[in-house]
Amino acid sequence: MHRPPFPFLLAAALCRAAAAAQQPDPSLVDFSLEQLSEIVVTSVSRQETRLADAPASIYLISGAEIRRSGATTLPEALRLAPNLQVARSDTRTYAITARGFSSTLENKLLVLIDGRSVYSPLFSGVFWDMQDVVMDDIERIEVISGPGATIWGANAVNGVINIITRAAKDSQGGLLSLGAGEQSRNGSARYGGTLAGGHYRVYAMADQYGDTFSEAGQRQDTGWHRSQAGFRADWDASQEQAVTLSGDSYQGMLGQVRGPDIRIGGANLVGRYTRKLDNDADLRLQAYLDHTERDQPNTGAQRLDTLDLEAQQGLRLGDHQLEWGGGYRHTRDRVQNGPLLRFTPAERILRWSNVFAQDELALRPGLRLTAGLKLEHNIYTGVETLPSLRLAWSPDSSRLVWGAAARTVRAPSRIDRDLYLANPAPSAGAPAYLIAGGPDFESETARVFELGYRSQPAAALSYSATLFYSQYDKLRTLEALPDGAVFSNMGEGRAYGIETWARWQPARNWRLSAGAVWQDIDTHLKPGSLDASGSAGLATNDPHCYWSLRSAHDLGAHVQADFGLRYVGSLPQPAVPAYYELDARLAWQLWRNMELALVGQNLLHRSHAEFGSAGTRQVFDRALSLQLAVRL
Amino acid sequence: MTRLAHRAARRRLGAWLLAAAGCALLGAAPCAAEAQAGAASLERSVKAAFLYKFLGYAEFPASAFADANAPVVIGVVGADEMAAELSRIVAGRSVDNRAVLVKTLREGEAPAGVHLLFVAGADSARVARVLKAAQPSPILLVTESENGLQLGSVINFKIVDERVRFDVSLDAADKNNIKLSSRLLTVANHVQKGAP
Repeated sequence: MHRPPFPFLLAAALCRAAAAAQQPDPSLVDFSLEQLSEIVVTSVSRQETRLADAPASIYLISGAEIRRSGATTLPEALRLAPNLQVARSDTRTYAITARGFSSTLENKLLVLIDGRSVYSPLFSGVFWDMQDVVMDDIERIEVISGPGATIWGANAVNGVINIITRAAKDSQGGLLSLGAGEQSRNGSARYGGTLAGGHYRVYAMADQYGDTFSEAGQRQDTGWHRSQAGFRADWDASQEQAVTLSGDSYQGMLGQVRGPDIRIGGANLVGRYTRKLDNDADLRLQAYLDHTERDQPNTGAQRLDTLDLEAQQGLRLGDHQLEWGGGYRHTRDRVQNGPLLRFTPAERILRWSNVFAQDELALRPGLRLTAGLKLEHNIYTGVETLPSLRLAWSPDSSRLVWGAAARTVRAPSRIDRDLYLANPAPSAGAPAYLIAGGPDFESETARVFELGYRSQPAAALSYSATLFYSQYDKLRTLEALPDGAVFSNMGEGRAYGIETWARWQPARNWRLSAGAVWQDIDTHLKPGSLDASGSAGLATNDPHCYWSLRSAHDLGAHVQADFGLRYVGSLPQPAVPAYYELDARLAWQLWRNMELALVGQNLLHRSHAEFGSAGTRQVFDRALSLQLAVRL
Repeated sequence: MTRLAHRAARRRLGAWLLAAAGCALLGAAPCAAEAQAGAASLERSVKAAFLYKFLGYAEFPASAFADANAPVVIGVVGADEMAAELSRIVAGRSVDNRAVLVKTLREGEAPAGVHLLFVAGADSARVARVLKAAQPSPILLVTESENGLQLGSVINFKIVDERVRFDVSLDAADKNNIKLSSRLLTVANHVQKGAP
């Protein structure tokens, strides 16, 4: 098998074009105030500066990058992070992970929206088909690949995704956004104003997506529609303290291939208080309430109510920068058992409590040692110990070498312990159930070692490379016993690889970014294991390599052209062929406050598949859509 | 993955790395050097242009000038390059028939005779010190710190959607006896009316 070195040709072409793109300075003084306000000035440096010091493999997706990508859902926006694997399984289901273990029931990634955890304690993963944010209101998404447990707790095993929306004062005024294509329709309206010495915004949005087809050409009823409304208010008038209050409410219907539509709904309310104390100290308190409902006909229904409280303080003591805090989460999980899928007990109170401390010590100028420990208690396995040690050396302000060692765990979820999937065709001699939770199921553990280098040799160029090596133990297996298969911890494995990315601004009006990950994920069974995960569709499926190349070009003051090319290597089991795809967006500023964009997705092929077994897996077509945004 | 496919994946990665390296060697070095100047200075140039233009949309009390021919003075703290850029663009230009002068100030130096004072940098403790030293006098204070307005600044630059925008505090303007035109306020990203 030989492929033309496509990346090489593309890179060479882009390099040549860069030289031609340099333009002389027009005299800015002759611009009007409005024209000055419309000049794009962000350099590579600004995007990277804030996080340039963090001794971790962290990538920042800016709000502007999201808007320029044409993405209308969170999973599609996450494709912008070079350190994330994003594979679409059907119109609303995604397998999203970092550093392997990709599955639609992925369970080693923590996802937060404005500090609110959106992972489901049902399976320790995220129902991506229940999460919406107005794309225009996203300030940034921080994607950390690798362990983040010392700060974020159990489940931040392979990565953390932190979705951060703009402060209300940065989303003032009206914004109407409409999009339509062959497959999808979406619309959102937002208004921001002032309130009692602070700022607020309110929004409403609705999204709809049509059915797709399987590889074999059969229509798959996985289309969906969702609607959501919410608000955010910030009071930060004084420099010393700030209060944020936000909430969302949503509902939707999601098609499923067999059976009536899944009905989803939920609401949440988040309050946060931050205060600057004397002597460079600060305090952060947060509380949220979250309710979600998911009624999946033929399977079961779940209602989940969560109360979460967190407190964190930062202190500076001489050469030490100390962070410490604690948290408590109380969740009532009520499952209405279906004919086959049952949870025992059907209703369960889940509690997590934690304390943590992390100290960053300046050993000498440029050399920092960070040591941290979190103790987290859960109802299944008791106290889990989550330590980490990081060393960072910056010889100058533009370079950083760092290393880290950490232990993290993936604590048991409801399905690991409480699940009971009955055999639909019981008969004498046949097992009574297909899958059951393991009463002795323990936490999956990982020991992770990382070595990273980041550099910004010029204002317009920055790059990052991270080597990682992870040892996994007690990985979940499905042990076939006479009565049926039971979850157990008889897997182990190791993963290693390299994550790289670079940003380069060859010209004032042109930015390029590229990322590539090469990894090797090797899991195997311990002696005596009779694992049946593969046949139950629970196995993970990872490419050895994936990369992306993006270009953002401003063609004059009123036209933007963006291209994103990505490659995802083949998946082994079930086999999915490697694919290249290209997304593009052309946007015109029709008026000072009105923008029209033409978005093309998956332009290289008529259709392609990203996940699942040949024949039954869904394919995604080339798609065009128009998006209109009006600011009032 | 089979060993063969594995090797193919390695080869593809190899091609990609080679391409990246090739790009860096052949194209990036000269491009990057040129772009460094461009990218780093564009934000500064846009801000400098704004500073000059602000003078045209602000009304200073008569007491701010020694006489009808006295120049308008822009003071810059903590950004010598910005001062140099400003000097270049205001050369030969005037505002309300007054010449425009640019003065570089050290921190702690009294901004005597300055009409517009730009305090560069994000270090809020430093910005607060400089602003405090400058008040109260008829000076249009401009900052680029995250909480500039809370520190008492009249106009604060911020980057919104990759563009240079600015917030305005009308209270701070009142306090410093500066009138800002409504035209300026319509372009502002956000106009703060109550006490900050």
